[in-house]
Amino acid sequence: MDLFGSFALLLAFVCAAYAVVGGIFAIRTRNPFLVKSARNAGMAVCALIVLGVASLEYLFFTDNFSVAYVVQHSSHTQSTFFKFAALWSGQEGSLLFWSLILSFYVFSVLWTYRGKHPELMPFVGVILAAVQMFFLILNNFIASPFKMIGEVGPGGILHWITQPDGRGLTPLLQYPEMVIHPPMLYSGYTGFTIPFAFGLAALIGRYPGEKWIHLTRRWTMIAWCFQSIGVLLGAHWAYAVLGWGGYWSWDPVENASLMPWLTGTAFLHSVMMQEKRGMMKVWNVWLVFITFMLCIFGTTITRSGMISSVHAFAQSEIGPWFFGFLGLIFIVCLAAFLKNRDYLKSDNQLDSLISRESSFLFNNLILLVACVAVLSGTMFPVLSEWITGQKISVGAPFFNHINIPIGLMLLLLTGIGPLLAWRRTSAESLKRNFGWPMLGGLVAGAIAYPIGCTDIFSLTCAILSVFVILTIISEFYRGAKVIRARSGENILASAVQLTMRNTRRYGGYVVHLGIVLVFVGIAGQAFNQDKQMEMKAGSSMKIGPYTLVCQAFDSIPNVNYTAERVTIEADKGNRQVMMLYPEKRAYESSQETGTMVAIYSTLREDLYVVYAGRSPESDQPVIHAYLNPLVKWIWLGGVVVVLGTILALIPNRPPVIVLKAAEQPAALSEGSRVVPAAVNRTSLT
Amino acid sequence: MTFRSKPVARVVAVYAAIFLLAGASLLIPVAHAQQTDHAKKLGLNLMCMCGCAQVLVQCNHLNCPSSAPMLKELDERIATGESDELVIQDFIKGYGVAVLSSPPSTGFNRVAWLLPSGAFVLGLGVIALVISHWRKRPIHATAGPHDSQVNISADALARAREKVDRETEE
Repeated sequence: MDLFGSFALLLAFVCAAYAVVGGIFAIRTRNPFLVKSARNAGMAVCALIVLGVASLEYLFFTDNFSVAYVVQHSSHTQSTFFKFAALWSGQEGSLLFWSLILSFYVFSVLWTYRGKHPELMPFVGVILAAVQMFFLILNNFIASPFKMIGEVGPGGILHWITQPDGRGLTPLLQYPEMVIHPPMLYSGYTGFTIPFAFGLAALIGRYPGEKWIHLTRRWTMIAWCFQSIGVLLGAHWAYAVLGWGGYWSWDPVENASLMPWLTGTAFLHSVMMQEKRGMMKVWNVWLVFITFMLCIFGTTITRSGMISSVHAFAQSEIGPWFFGFLGLIFIVCLAAFLKNRDYLKSDNQLDSLISRESSFLFNNLILLVACVAVLSGTMFPVLSEWITGQKISVGAPFFNHINIPIGLMLLLLTGIGPLLAWRRTSAESLKRNFGWPMLGGLVAGAIAYPIGCTDIFSLTCAILSVFVILTIISEFYRGAKVIRARSGENILASAVQLTMRNTRRYGGYVVHLGIVLVFVGIAGQAFNQDKQMEMKAGSSMKIGPYTLVCQAFDSIPNVNYTAERVTIEADKGNRQVMMLYPEKRAYESSQETGTMVAIYSTLREDLYVVYAGRSPESDQPVIHAYLNPLVKWIWLGGVVVVLGTILALIPNRPPVIVLKAAEQPAALSEGSRVVPAAVNRTSLT
Repeated sequence: MTFRSKPVARVVAVYAAIFLLAGASLLIPVAHAQQTDHAKKLGLNLMCMCGCAQVLVQCNHLNCPSSAPMLKELDERIATGESDELVIQDFIKGYGVAVLSSPPSTGFNRVAWLLPSGAFVLGLGVIALVISHWRKRPIHATAGPHDSQVNISADALARAREKVDRETEE
């Protein structure tokens, strides 16, 4: 099966290479047969990679310990669930997994647009195949997951060895979320290849207009949504597994996933300028290039070992390949830009500083500055050591210091931007749109301050959050009111109708609402408390409104690990709210330990309990308890962001135009439905 | 009656929404009188040197060969009443500048602090340039009221309508 997998991957590489070479010839000769043949080769890559991945999974499920990758990441006792997830737990497998997801995207794009956009798609096909080719080079020749274990015996003969058992999955990865988190993140990273390919193809092929933006809007949103889920699941995994009481430590690998998210968010906003006003064409093209390069850079950080990280599970000497690829991408993008930059001239002019256009400019500026701050902080230890020869650390306090004000500015713009009109916003409109939300924000601040929200950033966050939520509500309310006046339906039904008529706009507002909830959750961090103490059976600890009573401390053998578990009763007032079971697991096959945190989560706060180990003096369990306010709002916000994105992906429902019985339609816009007046209560005229 | 009740209902609804949302802020717990421990605060400026890349007070490894003695030392130094600056300087002497959780704002390391604000200022400059360029761009000549007899082709009209639709729909 390992040979079969290797062969499938090799064939996939050949097909990708053909898709590149054949595609270039197809573009030059405009031969329709070649175009079709290159496209089919691009689609065949997907089928072949699926076969390769299926082979590797088969090796995992059959405990084939003659393959090095299986030995390193699986064991007899590992559950089927984690054997499946072991595919992406190491270097070779993750790179193969990257190729797999990318091939799904490529197949979907080539299939969806087969026979369409003949001037653009051959270029897109070549670029996508070139990216696939790079990863298939790694899969086949640099980091093959099908390497066998062998040793040279007497007489120089190579013998294949089958190990009796494998080392098993790293304990940190033996957590259900780790089965979902990498696929989500990889779907985000790879998904940005699609807008990149379309952007570059449009530039190289001088494809007229904003068509490439329209074509890639949904793909970009899908990638962005996956990236958002991936980032949040990663944060949740860190929260529930690493056991240090927080969810974001500004670790280089966390930062690597955040950077393309920031530029991707900027891109999603600035493309609207190009769609509506034909502006920011140069900027959009570079934004999509940078987003893609940051995706590759993120993988480089994870894989190269250039920066130490608790997340860098799979390090190797693969870095130079990624740096080479990054350099090549940059050169190609720059050359295409320099050659065709006249194609990117803006059509329109800016009518007023107080307009949607300016808000997008500032939104992009803030997102880009955030990205620069994260990138410079992540890379600075390397840069500083390289220049001064001195090792320095850039930890969470630095990132918080820089990024909290940036985040708050972004939050402010989230409220202001959508309420500004395109071209020009009048003073009257400003007053009408912002008056109540601003007042609401200030009232919220006035309530929050006396009850203890005295931290300047948390207070500002509370004010801005209420302001933004009110602006979103007022937007829905105003639109729904108009529809209600026409249809006579109640305000809620009108709001639903409004949303379905323009899913992109109102889905976007829902996404903004989710982001606000995430900010509210982050603001709670200013009020975190923690306490650590030895707890023998019967002893208690008080933290915030909770009393923790240690009930028992026992050792529980399991199939592939032994757990030391503490049973803790969590009481609030005189009422028991939950039994908590924090534990430490010792994995026999890998000789490593893992932490299982126990969390009692409410909307108000999380009671987060960690069994930190035994005290060396008394041999009693040591419990570290944290009280983390509002953390649940972050996960809730993530769910709202995803729902908003899904909503924005749904096609608009055409408006129902109701005609009076006496009147005949003069001209109806395409896609409108005509409904007899008798069916409805009101008419539009 | 209808004339009066609508604005009242609207005002009540808006107030209800404000207070409902302001209520969310009530979920932020009262800041407890118990202040953050001095050592914890100071420990935020230091990194654990075991290689976990975590801030000293956040290192969660029990019996960590690095954080446990460092925290002990920190507590002892604070207990003797030494100034924060002196404690930090001694830690730097003992462990090197890498013990600081943020780059010191001296020498080349100052760049780490200046880069984000520099990027912001540079970005503002670029935006100012872009805006001035956009505003200077000539406006295409349009037909005035006295040009009402100008013939516009159906194709041009359709294009103009499409543009208006695109720019006015959200």
